[in-house]
Amino acid sequence: MTASRHLADRGLSDAVVGATSRRGFLARVGRVVLAAAGGSAIAAAVATPEAEGFHFCGHTYTTGSCPHPTGLPRIDAHGFPLRAFDGAPVDDLGRPIDAQGRPVDAHGRVLHDADRVPLPPAPRTRVCEGAARAYGFRAHIDGAWYRCCNGHVRKLTDCCGYVRNRINGDAALTGYCYAGRKVFCVQYFDTKVPC
Amino acid sequence: MVGTVGAARRLGGRGAFAVTAAAYGVGSLAGALSVFALLALAGTVTGIGRTWLAAGAVLAAATAAVDLRGGRVRPQIRSQVPEPWRRALPLPLATFLYGFLLGTGVATYVPAATAWGLIVFGLVLGDLHVALVVGAAVAAGRALPVLVLAAATEDGAALPALALRPHALRVVRLAAGISLAVAASLVLADTGAAGLVVGSPAGDPSAAAADLAWEQPGVGGFLRRGGQTVQLPGDDPAVGGTLVAWHVGDVVTIANRATLAPVLVVHVAGAQKLAVSDRWLAVRALRRGGARLVVQQVTAGAPQHGVAATPFAARLGRPALDGDTLVYSASGLRGSSIMAVDLPARRRHLLRYSRSDQLLQPSLLGGRLLYVRLTRCSQQLRLGDLDGRRGRILLTLPPVAGQDLGHDRDRTSQGARVPCGRRVRATSRLLWTSALASTVAYVTVLRPAAGRATPTLVSVKR
Repeated sequence: MTASRHLADRGLSDAVVGATSRRGFLARVGRVVLAAAGGSAIAAAVATPEAEGFHFCGHTYTTGSCPHPTGLPRIDAHGFPLRAFDGAPVDDLGRPIDAQGRPVDAHGRVLHDADRVPLPPAPRTRVCEGAARAYGFRAHIDGAWYRCCNGHVRKLTDCCGYVRNRINGDAALTGYCYAGRKVFCVQYFDTKVPC
Repeated sequence: MVGTVGAARRLGGRGAFAVTAAAYGVGSLAGALSVFALLALAGTVTGIGRTWLAAGAVLAAATAAVDLRGGRVRPQIRSQVPEPWRRALPLPLATFLYGFLLGTGVATYVPAATAWGLIVFGLVLGDLHVALVVGAAVAAGRALPVLVLAAATEDGAALPALALRPHALRVVRLAAGISLAVAASLVLADTGAAGLVVGSPAGDPSAAAADLAWEQPGVGGFLRRGGQTVQLPGDDPAVGGTLVAWHVGDVVTIANRATLAPVLVVHVAGAQKLAVSDRWLAVRALRRGGARLVVQQVTAGAPQHGVAATPFAARLGRPALDGDTLVYSASGLRGSSIMAVDLPARRRHLLRYSRSDQLLQPSLLGGRLLYVRLTRCSQQLRLGDLDGRRGRILLTLPPVAGQDLGHDRDRTSQGARVPCGRRVRATSRLLWTSALASTVAYVTVLRPAAGRATPTLVSVKR
């Protein structure tokens, strides 16, 4: 998706929010600032709508998801994979894990072997880096955009690289990538900021 | 039975009918669950399923074939439910007892051969949860036609019509036969892929020549020689060369494998997992939450050398020895590797490495490396050369985690990706420690738990 396409697709409110969020401000922050400035009508207009029609909430245009251990490309603030439905951190095998990377059960308790020793941690790779490794390019995280999804602000991040084609196989677009890099695939981080 | 249950409505109205019908349904369920729970219990206690699982599946498939062909059901049971109950007992109690008898599936006339197939399955699978589900299905199959017909007709007028049109029963038998045939083929396929169960609970195998040693959690180490199994006076046994080793706490005993006479006793603080060859002893020791790998020559007074150490115990795998070569696995968040150490030269070699898969619990014999590789989409027991050029998969299990749709439910699938390409069913079983013998490979299949996991020892042909 290109930046111009983004702007063209959105109304005034989105354009305002989009222009700020490109540089890292949350949509909610923009909304609060505008409301404080006295423009309640504008604030209402800036309410971040859920993008519809693409394969996960907040995503616009057709670039495919980055390869992720459990499917939907949900990541944490550092780019590591989270299970989409509950936000549990997962390793490269898709298992939920604790802070040390040890596999845990559905209740978050560390799984043990027959000697009561915790199971060994499996590798855990940043989702964009995993995509880059699998497809042979160097990963870059450049810009991001924000949408309101499931009551929270979602940060959507392009996984960028010096690539000709995106993960879909057809020509890659500039999107939120800089310095000649293009979008290879997309991922998202759900913030705790309500919207 | 339709007439008996339906009679309640004529005699006592709708309320009485509801009570009688419910009693019949509960009785059917109780009968079926009792029978299949007992079968599962018998299968578990006797361990019959471990040996006869494939044979049971073949037998079940044969009964399915009988129903698919519409053949006679053999063996057949000629007895009927006791008729006097309906006159002597309150109707709800009588129908409960009738339901109980009919729910067992084989107390009276057996309408479909698959009933026998299900009983065989219940026994050989030895799984209570599966047995209860099958029992509930049998109960539903037995009770629902009676209840529906009893509710639909007051005087049983539908019965003659049903008796004159046997197509309904034929269709039911066909459906049952197809279902059972599919289940039997799945079990057969799984049996072929899963290898033979050596013992459960049993794990951490160690093999040398035709001998096999393993650990039974909470009980101790065992050694099988020449078809005879003996319990060893310690835990975590290992065999290699002509020796066997075990430990009691920090005291490690190395003994002659034929006589079990001690050859050497050494002290290794935190000793937990052992490997032994004619010249070397290797010990994984746990201390203060971490683990270290210690080796020592099998000579009195020989010094101990550290080979590897980690601050997190789980990251260092069990050691294995073949002659002068030690192999072990190391797992971490940044990658997983299998290392070999040439002990006389103290040279370390990287045998396998992955930044996304987990490589676990290797064993070595004659230049062939056996190890577990956990990938995102499967678990593999792999046998290959040391240099990794040639290799094959001896055993495969489903992956350890499931996957989502790759897209939000209310959205298009365009652009969605799932890691394993299609819907996969994850398993709670985990391929774990391995041992390599000349003709077979052994692997522990673990059911990890928050407490202590349950291991099962499985053998697979090389």
